[in-house]
Amino acid sequence: MNTTDLIALSPLLIVGLSAVAILLLISLRRNHRAVATLALGGLALAMASIPQAAAVAPHHIAPLMMADGYALFYSALLLAASFVVGLLSFDYLEQRGEQREEYYVLLLLATLGGLVLVGANHFVSLFLGLEILSVAIYVMVAYARSSPLAAETGIKYLILAGTSSAFMVFGMALVYAQTGTLEFGPMAAQLMQMEDFGLALPGMAMMLVGVGFKLAVVPFHMWTPEVYQGAPVPVTAFVATVSKGAMFALLLRFFAAFEADEAQPIMNILGLLAIASMLAGNLLALLEDNVKRLLAYSSIAHLGYVLVAFLAESSFGDEAVTFYLVAYFISTLAAFGVISVLSDGKSEADRMEDFRGLYWRRPMLATLMTAALLSLAGIPLTTGFVAKFAVVAAGVKAALWVPVFALALGSAIGLYYYLRLVVVMLSPVNPTDDSNSEATATDDAMSTRAPNPAILRPKKVPIGPAFALSILAIFLLGLGVLPTPLMDFIKSSVSELR
Amino acid sequence: MFWLTSIVAIVATLLAISRLNATHALLYLIVSFLSVAVLFLQLGAPFVAAIEVIVYAGAIMVLFVFVIMLLNLGPHAVEGERQLLPPHAWIGPGLLAAVLLLELLMPLSNNQFIPTTGTAKHADHSTIPTIPTEAAPQLQERMVVGPKEVGIKLFSTYLLAVELAGFLLLAGLVGAFHIGREEPRTSAKPGAMEVPSQEGPA
Amino acid sequence: MNPIPMEQSLMVAAMLFSLGLIGLLVRRNVIFMLISIEIMLNAAGLAFVVAGSHWQAADGQVMFLFIITMAAAEVAIGLALVLRLQSDLPTLDVDAMDQLKGGDDA
Repeated sequence: MNTTDLIALSPLLIVGLSAVAILLLISLRRNHRAVATLALGGLALAMASIPQAAAVAPHHIAPLMMADGYALFYSALLLAASFVVGLLSFDYLEQRGEQREEYYVLLLLATLGGLVLVGANHFVSLFLGLEILSVAIYVMVAYARSSPLAAETGIKYLILAGTSSAFMVFGMALVYAQTGTLEFGPMAAQLMQMEDFGLALPGMAMMLVGVGFKLAVVPFHMWTPEVYQGAPVPVTAFVATVSKGAMFALLLRFFAAFEADEAQPIMNILGLLAIASMLAGNLLALLEDNVKRLLAYSSIAHLGYVLVAFLAESSFGDEAVTFYLVAYFISTLAAFGVISVLSDGKSEADRMEDFRGLYWRRPMLATLMTAALLSLAGIPLTTGFVAKFAVVAAGVKAALWVPVFALALGSAIGLYYYLRLVVVMLSPVNPTDDSNSEATATDDAMSTRAPNPAILRPKKVPIGPAFALSILAIFLLGLGVLPTPLMDFIKSSVSELR
Repeated sequence: MFWLTSIVAIVATLLAISRLNATHALLYLIVSFLSVAVLFLQLGAPFVAAIEVIVYAGAIMVLFVFVIMLLNLGPHAVEGERQLLPPHAWIGPGLLAAVLLLELLMPLSNNQFIPTTGTAKHADHSTIPTIPTEAAPQLQERMVVGPKEVGIKLFSTYLLAVELAGFLLLAGLVGAFHIGREEPRTSAKPGAMEVPSQEGPA
Repeated sequence: MNPIPMEQSLMVAAMLFSLGLIGLLVRRNVIFMLISIEIMLNAAGLAFVVAGSHWQAADGQVMFLFIITMAAAEVAIGLALVLRLQSDLPTLDVDAMDQLKGGDDA
């Protein structure tokens, strides 16, 4: 460990130290506001330290981590997403009479895990980063102790995530048995020299189970709707963005070390996963009436889209992946941010009914939600469109016709359910004088008490979420109109990867 | 010796997953972990053998025993398990796992997987003097990788990882504290949770 | 000490892993599912030690230490959740946990 190592690691160090500082603060005095400020300050400071770290990049902290432009770009993305989640969480937790302070420790630790993951260059750091992230998320998912769903959601996620970790570690062991090294670079070099992968092939396939689970691609997606629904909204936003983004960044780095034709069997599997995710995710979303579950299925489809750009295996593909993930982060955080603001101390605004007539009650929030949904659907003037365009371009350039076709088909299906939610937000509040009243007979009993009166009552958006949401709104439209600066920045960041 | 230990490990594991009584299952599991520890010794890894006994068979299993005691799973639990576990429930998962096992065993039983090219340069990767890796399968004498080598590696190359493992345990600690904390009865009831709710500031 | 070929030891690890997987898929009691995950993680650790022993390097054993660390953290949280569940629900049967709307897949 020398000074350069420490500078290159400074974002991680600051996040880790903030977590410890919060623990000390809690032991002195429990104060939600102070703890939240400290946590957000830590995240902001970590972000501020990235330019310093970039000055020494690319720097290899032997042998575990790599602090290059790529890792730092993703670090900034994860820190920004955690910051937004932290802002949303403060008011969400403030409304619930729970012990709230530990949440921020876990948020910071999970972010730390993500930062380790995006810089991982070695199986050990991969494993530890993944597990810090997972263990913190187990608890965050089950954080709301008063919620009857919490423990159930937590244990389901824990069992599935534990299984996928076991698969991943066993796969790593097989790859290690074959190559004798745990570092990505030498490992790829080793495998390239062999005529066949031998044990490394089943090993990598087993690792894909672990990766696929974290990314929630079909057929490892079963946990997604349940966890999205059962977890507190800010946690759902965190799982949807930071956890998946970090894992994808790692996947990209791992396979960037291989030459295209070497990893062909693995790429074929990933291609199938991508196609299955795009189609199944979008089709299952059609059936959903719960907005959180709907976004869960939509996220399955989105990870399928990103995989298409990943399969292109080119620098252009890497840029498309990165841009798409940025767009996905922004849109998803905006959508969950709106849900979080609409939720009150008693319930979460996650039913379709809760959104009925939102335009007439909370026009700003409804407009932002619409923009987020249109961005997820890939409509022009939003970042989602530019991102999807980049992904399609990367796919076409690599002649991946079948995945690109599945992407187009999936997007067409996706448009339907995104627009359905937009239409619900536009329709009048009282469903009885509306053609929608014919929905179903059983729904009538429900609709008398829906929408939730607390959501009906216009209420000022607290300053934290308001700040977070306005920033997201600016990026959501700004990057849709003017994507070039970010594109160029991404290009210079990911260029070192291959 | 190796096969004997392996068979003990496999049989004990088989019994552990098929017992209806959780305590019996744990006892078999401990036997399984102990035999894996013996395997470690035979593989020339005495340090992890000790860790396996202390941490796995010791600490983690004690945790399980505690929880089972707290849950008070008596004979009625065994009866419940029996109902949950008709014999035919084993068929599907058994077949699935058998397929996976076959896929793993096939490359293992082909001898061609032992790398012959491009690996010799890798011999310098290990910390201790070693024989050329091509000869590895035909070792006449297996070197023991003892606690000293593991310790040196752990606190030099993997120093950062040790610190990260500390954060991992911290996450586990904070999490178990939060979830396991005894809640005052009033707020544990779902209906009572609105009481302390307050309007957010600002 | 007799040399043990790596393939055979890895076969043992693969068998233990498969047994853990069977247990996980068959058992519906959360405690048994956690035990099965422990078996699978232990098998993965065994595979790492075997591979490390084959390469005559300490890395496999180091990785085993991290695996055991992770297993401990995971079990601590898993068992805390089990205790919570026990007070909420009368059973530890995962099939009874259906408060989360679903069932369209899984």
